Amino acid sequence: MNGMNVAAMASQTTPALSDDIKQLIDRALKMEKWPIARLISMVEVESDSAAEQRHVILDYLDSVVEEANRDALVVGITGTPGAGKSTLIGELCLRMLQGSDDLFVAVIAIDPSSQRSGGALLGDRTRVKFPSKDKRLFFRSQASHQELGGLGKKTYHAVRLLRYIFDIVVIETVGIGQSELEIDRLSDLTCLVLQPLTGDQVQFMKAGIMEIPDLFIVNKCDEDALAKKSYHLLRASLKLIDISTEQDSDRARPVFMTSALKNKGIEELARHILSLRQDPESFKNREIQGEYYLCKWIRQNYGGYGIEVYQSIKQNSTSERFSFEDREKAFNRMIKGMVKPLESFPCR
Amino acid sequence: MTENKAHQILDKNGEVSADRPWIFRTYAGHTNVWATNQLYRENLTKGQTGLSIALDLPTQCGYSSDHALARPEIGKVGVPINSLDDFQVLFDNIPLEEMNTSMTINGSAMWLLSLYVALAEERGVDVSQLKGTTQNDVIKEYLARGTYIYPPEDSMRLIVDMYEYCLHNIPSWNASNICSYHLQEAGATPVQELAFALITAITILDAIKERDCFSEEEFERCVGRISFFVNAGMRFVEEVCKMRAFCEMWDEIAQQRYGVKNPKYRRFRYGVQVNSLGLTAEQPENNAWRIIIETLGVTLSRKARCRALQLPAWNEALSLPRPWDQQWSLRIQQILAYETDLLEYPDLLDGSHVVESKVKDLKEQAYVEIDKILSMGGGLKAVESGYMKSALVGSQSERMRRLTNGEQIVVGKNKWIEGIASPLVSDADGGIFMVDAKAAERTLEALAETKRTRDPKRVEAALEKLAADARSGENLMPASIECAKARVTTGEWSDKLREVFGEYRPPTGVDGQSMNIENESLQQVRGKIETFIKEHGYRPRIVVGKPGLDGHSNGAEMIAVAARHAGFDVIYFGIRLSTTEIVQSALEEDADIIGISLLSGSHNEIVDQLFTELEEQGVKDAIPVVLGGIIPEPDYPGLIDRGVKRIFTPRDFDPMLVMDQIMDVIIENKSKVAH
Repeated sequence: MNGMNVAAMASQTTPALSDDIKQLIDRALKMEKWPIARLISMVEVESDSAAEQRHVILDYLDSVVEEANRDALVVGITGTPGAGKSTLIGELCLRMLQGSDDLFVAVIAIDPSSQRSGGALLGDRTRVKFPSKDKRLFFRSQASHQELGGLGKKTYHAVRLLRYIFDIVVIETVGIGQSELEIDRLSDLTCLVLQPLTGDQVQFMKAGIMEIPDLFIVNKCDEDALAKKSYHLLRASLKLIDISTEQDSDRARPVFMTSALKNKGIEELARHILSLRQDPESFKNREIQGEYYLCKWIRQNYGGYGIEVYQSIKQNSTSERFSFEDREKAFNRMIKGMVKPLESFPCR
Repeated sequence: MTENKAHQILDKNGEVSADRPWIFRTYAGHTNVWATNQLYRENLTKGQTGLSIALDLPTQCGYSSDHALARPEIGKVGVPINSLDDFQVLFDNIPLEEMNTSMTINGSAMWLLSLYVALAEERGVDVSQLKGTTQNDVIKEYLARGTYIYPPEDSMRLIVDMYEYCLHNIPSWNASNICSYHLQEAGATPVQELAFALITAITILDAIKERDCFSEEEFERCVGRISFFVNAGMRFVEEVCKMRAFCEMWDEIAQQRYGVKNPKYRRFRYGVQVNSLGLTAEQPENNAWRIIIETLGVTLSRKARCRALQLPAWNEALSLPRPWDQQWSLRIQQILAYETDLLEYPDLLDGSHVVESKVKDLKEQAYVEIDKILSMGGGLKAVESGYMKSALVGSQSERMRRLTNGEQIVVGKNKWIEGIASPLVSDADGGIFMVDAKAAERTLEALAETKRTRDPKRVEAALEKLAADARSGENLMPASIECAKARVTTGEWSDKLREVFGEYRPPTGVDGQSMNIENESLQQVRGKIETFIKEHGYRPRIVVGKPGLDGHSNGAEMIAVAARHAGFDVIYFGIRLSTTEIVQSALEEDADIIGISLLSGSHNEIVDQLFTELEEQGVKDAIPVVLGGIIPEPDYPGLIDRGVKRIFTPRDFDPMLVMDQIMDVIIENKSKVAH
């Protein structure tokens, strides 16, 4: 396999683009909701044939969408249950969409699945008070299934698809410790939503979680006095954390005080996010991100050996641009000839 | 003077006497103001002195009849009221000063009271002579019944405004009537009923205290005006004890928390509608016996006997009752009160160790729950956090579990199912009541006429004053009464306050709920779901929708919880949704099926709207629809013809069997779309 071109290897298995899917994508790019929803379902599905379909869909999107429009700012919003995330996101979307007729926003809300039945209760859609037929806002729920931290490959693929179609993609997830790390992998801007602080929460803030977010939102600041007190508490704690982790303390991470109920602070937050969208520096490296998810998936299915195989493919790759699909195809072709996935070995 | 024997009731003069019966009520109102006025006048000529007004859902939710959400619901579960002109017709030839008028109205209670006051003033009736009740218990609306409009704080402010206005201007009016009735319908245990109803009363009185608008003497009278509306189920011994516990606890709370000195103002005054939840669609004739037994729960104990009683009809699980069905229920009350010797004795249960111990037990548990909620910050906080709602959904799923596995026996439903078919349901009309669809037109014409003939300047000024007072914190009754006189409509009044207060959506209570059903049907549906996942690479998705204005969300909540238990990914987001919202959600979520729940009798209209939306979006074949609720059998063919794949009714009480059938529909549809 030395010297073999990854893209060439991959192309051997690429099925043709059917008229149905082409039509679906063309309609999705006109912001029709049902086609967008169908495409999300298609890239979410996990099976070999579905992976091929995903390759077709994303390749085609890549070829028809102009380069300038290919990427949305991905905003990850996490926080403990009860911090009022859903309502806040609803109001935030409203604010971002007000005063701009050609901005398109997608929300993916992730909810936990039941350990026992595997089923899930999803998405509080009604928190977003927006005319439901308006094409500028798209809302989709996802169940976390067995993924640690609630975010997985499924979310990654859905987000990648939505990045071609929308200007801003918001991911909402329940904060349970691990998800702050995971959502940071996937988003350009990671926001942590907190309730007005009490002594207990200062304790919680000492945990490593506070190092990750790019931005803090203290929500439910319905009363000014409480809001001010919380602001100073949080600022002081962040300063301590930044010193202890030797972070540049000039890079003071923004703190927003919001109240969805009293409509406070949300305008400022919306403006901040919209301004980040204009700044190329805001966008994280998509290759590193893709590589992370690919390796995560390979490790899950094939362990350390899979990673070794992948590294060898990478070293021998001659293509300049990272493409998740090409690498995945190349890996699949190679590994299928050598080993079976771990789960297919009978257990004794 | 007669010798005092323990089994006798003596009157003031020491003569052996008997109690007067409680007030017999019939909850009534339907179609339009003309039909309902005629009905009231008929009832009044038969000697009835009280009116219990049923209002339709648009009126209850603050919409005029010409609103898009209102159209399918006009006149269905009560009478539509759009303006003072409608009230003029409704009370035509009915002397207001002689009436005791009870209105089942909550989110828009202030508006209906303002219309009543305005009507009295226009007729020259002395307002201080008016007697009656506005239900106006918004906490239980958030928890169980669904006709709330505004956020909790603002709703509470409207209630306190009414208490303040009534005490000073209409002293015999009960500004609100605290309901544990709907809590039991939503699955509450006796302890939850006691605790949540009393917490509601505490929340109202605390808010009144905080406003500090009454003298000490006035506040005592105000506590005395708090009245309750209670439910009674089949476990009638426990229900008797619950009623005794209510009386004792209210007396204690009024005395200890509010320092009410006069025992008269500490009395637990209550009316009753007995339980409908336990009534069955199977062998519906058995419900007549159930209603009698439930009635015992609130009449047996003299100390804790209800003041007024209304009974459901034997066929409520099938459809809305007809006048004959209501008459049959009224007869139960008359037989119990006049043929038996019940009213001749003092309290039969005094001195019973068993009753005493049971009452003590209920009280202790209820106080624990009350303290817990108070430590959370009180009733409004426990609504906002979803605590009380979750507790109710939890009790309801527990009830479903007991029914499904046969732990709780319901005759004719899960035991002794075989029997001879009832001749009662084989009448020409199938034993059910139908509203004349054309009657709504007359209501709409009257509304248009009101809008055409009123003085627009006066309307505008009245609404502006309403908004200004809402913002400034002024008592809203005077501005509302002026709105009524200016012929402002129900929708306009409500919308103006929506602008100021916003609209509220409470937590659905289904998060984090689980269902403990482990039966064969569960294994079967889980097997089907596993196969589906292997074949299609994802978990089937169901959108559970509750369209229209009906807020009885039990059915939808249970289906949402059951679907997750079966293994579906479930999208459920509460009540009062337009069919557009439901269809758009199903589109965006790429749902495999839509399940909708309907109980208000508007299923034909709403199903038609839903399919029109699905057709417009080009997904009628892609997303199948199933329907659940109280759906009369004669309507089945039309609904199936329109495209509904399955219809579930209260007969389908094993939620896992329902899930299994839903899974069949999904599989069927998948294979059809694929080919």
